[in-house]
Amino acid sequence: MSEGDRELRALMVRYQAGSLEAFEEIYARLAPAVRRYLSHLAGGSEIVADLLQETFLQMHRSRAAYNPKYAVRPWVFGLARNVFLMNRRAARQWAKVYEPREDLPEFAVLPEAERLGSQDQIRRGIADLPPDQAEALLLHHEWGFRFEEIAGMLGITAAAARARASRGMADLRLALNSLHSSQSAARESFVRKLLKRAGA
Amino acid sequence: MMDRSPKPPEALMRAIAHDIRPVRPSPQPFRLALRMVPLALLVSSVIVLAIGPRHDLGILGPLLAWGASAAQFVLAIMLVWIAARESTPAGRLPKQVVYSATIAASLVVVFVTLLTFSTSPANEPLLRVPPRINEMLRVSPWIMGFACGIGSTLAGGVLVLLFRQMFRNSLATRPTVAGALYGAGAGLAINAGWRIACPVSTPWHALGAHGAAIVATVILGALIGRFLGNRKLQIGGKHP
Repeated sequence: MSEGDRELRALMVRYQAGSLEAFEEIYARLAPAVRRYLSHLAGGSEIVADLLQETFLQMHRSRAAYNPKYAVRPWVFGLARNVFLMNRRAARQWAKVYEPREDLPEFAVLPEAERLGSQDQIRRGIADLPPDQAEALLLHHEWGFRFEEIAGMLGITAAAARARASRGMADLRLALNSLHSSQSAARESFVRKLLKRAGA
Repeated sequence: MMDRSPKPPEALMRAIAHDIRPVRPSPQPFRLALRMVPLALLVSSVIVLAIGPRHDLGILGPLLAWGASAAQFVLAIMLVWIAARESTPAGRLPKQVVYSATIAASLVVVFVTLLTFSTSPANEPLLRVPPRINEMLRVSPWIMGFACGIGSTLAGGVLVLLFRQMFRNSLATRPTVAGALYGAGAGLAINAGWRIACPVSTPWHALGAHGAAIVATVILGALIGRFLGNRKLQIGGKHP
């Protein structure tokens, strides 16, 4: 168990005992990452702020459901996922959730992918991945969850979580490589055209 | 990655501050499932005591009578444990495990039913009631089926409601599935007791009446889970 996780567990216990300061501290530590996760799930929709608020409100209503034996981050991320899925299910007509914004959801560029392309290219590459692969990939590489934790959140086996993340990474690499090849080919043909014109 | 963020929004803080009373942490799924054991045992025992044990217990022997019921009871608690895992945001089991356990529970019920019938094909409703009533039940077996079906559904319904109270903190992504699972657990636990009391072992009765009661508790659990789950997780829902 990491130091950060130990501190979060201690904060949750204080929060369950009725400490408002503990809640503020938990919010301060987890809200930015949870927001980015929700932003990924909701395709960058404007509803993310509401979903984030609802996640913490839900955490408050159900704070008794937390057992100090659980790691806090997977528990809160799992809760955020529930909030997103339940609301999407409950409000099919709620068009905002299905209205992805023009700009892509913000998340840090995966260290493994950094050398493969620009931030924007990587974001676009991740947005083009199948949703289950993209989610496993981000949960593992961006938010640092272990595959066992991802499995518990998604209701799959740890092996399946690992397979999804690595398939996602392989597809992302492939997409970025082919993007680079097509860009180089375009550059080459442009240069060839220029040389031809210069020759003529 | 844990970067600092601005403070929680004003409205959220107000809602939290309004209801910051201390709470007691829920037990872990396995302990929660174990807590159901006395409740389920109590309801099952009341059924056996109220109706009385079946007359062919000697023919069935302790293994097929009490052993098969104990196996069903253990499976029931296992289903409740799976429901408790399903209700924990980061503790869900793989779908394959959930479906395999459900199928295994159904197969055990069918297997026990057929084995009981092949060992003691009792089809006479010999209850500890006046002979006139036994005669009436013999002439119209559907009455017995109806009584067993309704009786086990009601007993299962009571257990589902008690389970629901224990699952009040459930945070299931699929509340209908979680509800169906503890409904199945309740139905199976009741069946474990009911089969010790019911004097009819024909498959059509055991599966048609008792099986239908299990299905009814599954549906009841699923409906309760779905209703409460939807009410709980709705944006703009009732705030504390």
